[in-house]
Amino acid sequence: MVLDFELTSEMVNDVLVMKTEGYINNAGGEQIAKEFEKYLNKGVSKLLIDIEKSKVVNSIGISFLIEIIEKLNGKGGKLYFSNLDPSIEKTFTIMGLFQFAGKVDSVEEIK
Amino acid sequence: MTTDTITEKLSIHVKSFQESFDILSNSSSLYEMSMQFMKVLRGSFFTTNISMFHKNDYDSEWRTLIAKDDESIEKISSISEQDSLKINSNEEITELYTSTKLVDSSYLGIWLGKKYDGTEYTDIDKITFQIFIQLFDNAYQALLSHKKEKELIFDLNNKVAQLYNLIDTGIELSNLHHGDKMMELAISRAISLTDSSFGRIKVTEDNTVIEEATFPPYLEKEMHKNHKSLTEKFVDVGIEYEFTLCEKESRTGTVDYDDTDQLLFGAIVRQVHAAIENDRYHKEALENEAMKRELAVAAEIQKRILPDKLPVIDGYDLAGINIPSKEVSGDYYNVLKLDDGRYALIVADVTGKGMPASLLVSTLDASLQAYLNFKIPLSEMAVKLNSIIFRASTADKFITFFIAVLNPQNGEIDIINAGHNPALILRKKKEVEKIDAGGVAFGMFDMGLPFEGQKLTLEKGERLFIFSDGIPEAMDKDEEEYSDERMEELFKNEISDSSRDFISMILRDVRKHTKGEPQSDDITAIYLIRKE
Repeated sequence: MVLDFELTSEMVNDVLVMKTEGYINNAGGEQIAKEFEKYLNKGVSKLLIDIEKSKVVNSIGISFLIEIIEKLNGKGGKLYFSNLDPSIEKTFTIMGLFQFAGKVDSVEEIK
Repeated sequence: MTTDTITEKLSIHVKSFQESFDILSNSSSLYEMSMQFMKVLRGSFFTTNISMFHKNDYDSEWRTLIAKDDESIEKISSISEQDSLKINSNEEITELYTSTKLVDSSYLGIWLGKKYDGTEYTDIDKITFQIFIQLFDNAYQALLSHKKEKELIFDLNNKVAQLYNLIDTGIELSNLHHGDKMMELAISRAISLTDSSFGRIKVTEDNTVIEEATFPPYLEKEMHKNHKSLTEKFVDVGIEYEFTLCEKESRTGTVDYDDTDQLLFGAIVRQVHAAIENDRYHKEALENEAMKRELAVAAEIQKRILPDKLPVIDGYDLAGINIPSKEVSGDYYNVLKLDDGRYALIVADVTGKGMPASLLVSTLDASLQAYLNFKIPLSEMAVKLNSIIFRASTADKFITFFIAVLNPQNGEIDIINAGHNPALILRKKKEVEKIDAGGVAFGMFDMGLPFEGQKLTLEKGERLFIFSDGIPEAMDKDEEEYSDERMEELFKNEISDSSRDFISMILRDVRKHTKGEPQSDDITAIYLIRKE
């Protein structure tokens, strides 16, 4: 497994903000899910993933994101994406992610 | 215990059964279902001592879901395959445990420890426990169906996304120029579409790597060896493009590439090949367009330089011709009347064609017209022209040049030949003379080398023929030349009072030789008759 992924996270008010860099594949998706689980257990129900620096994603990475969406929806929360590459945005749309997740320009848009 | 008693006692639990099923069937994972099941059992059997285990098949190791007692797993493990579904208990009947085969042939092990009040489990408890386990199996079946349904929807959406990505990739690649991140885009898209972990495109020419693109970008060059990989390659104008994808990912590790991956990968590679070919064709088309524009300009320059018609010289009959082999000729000819009443007859041949040749001819023409009226000796003028052409041309460009300055009064001709084909004179006695005056072609050297002139007289009835090598070197399909001999023979024997007729005659003879083959070089000639 080749690692080409970095993740940072911080709480901005009641929103967990993650910034990804690199390939969102099995390893990248797993890192996002693990980081999310840490905060989910603390009651966080809003997650913003800024993927400006991720230009490539595969279906395994997407499956992790769908799981996060399901878990958040189960708790009445929501996942948001920002700075989507047009190609990734199209893929997410086709995969149905935006039926339950949102798109924002910044964390301030999340209420 | 009578049936009525059992029915009566169980009826108390009916609502609980229904609620339990609803709770369990809403779970999103086996673990979540186990947690919910533990709450259900705790409420129904007044005990917090509950352990639950799961294994994928009978021979697998038990995996702990919830463990309240370290010894509970040993009791679960002691149950044989045949005793699956049976409710087991300890001697005091203060513990119940069972190993149940679920709908997908996996096993669920459950242990219920001592109740809060320490009482033993009743037969009704055992029946209730059995019913709850059946409820769990039903809810587990619903969970599996739901999971399967989600997987099918995911796969379907993923196939649609793959097709869209493939189409978009083709469009994006076709909009890129070779070298303009085309390889980076291709390898990243191929990796994404096939769920690969990493990959590389290697471009080689004559076994030397001339370009390489990897994803991730910092991938070590040889690390794709020893991995499960897919490889595709193609060759385009001697350059080999090798694409390698490695380690198809799954949620549980790496898996083998399948037929769909092969198809998607092949499609991306073909898109890259098509994009490279199209980019090359586009560049060629642009170059052709630029060349056409250049030739149009060169043709316009030449049109202004070459004479529309030749001057009429009293006592002489004169004709000339220039037939370019391409759009723009590299030959030059002219007949210029000088201020002192003499006429300069010139034929020149520039190496190459197109704009560079046209510009050089333009320089020659302008310089020639300026110097001819200075009344300086031809040999001196030739030195100056050579110097001008040398400075104006590149190392591979030069001009062969022939000039004959005729005094029409007495037929005296001054001649300079700078590397050009010797002109021919037909004397009255039907003897052909070659004019040997010489020097090197203009533009080859600029060392002040002299050009030796020659003087001769054209008597009445005699003829002068100045030509370019396009006539004797005209070739047929076997690349056999028309030849100096055949041309001289015609010059000697075809006597006509009309210069124009002779020119037409020699052109016909050349075409007879070439038999419709495309003209290999420019044809230029001047034919002068001194009338009787």
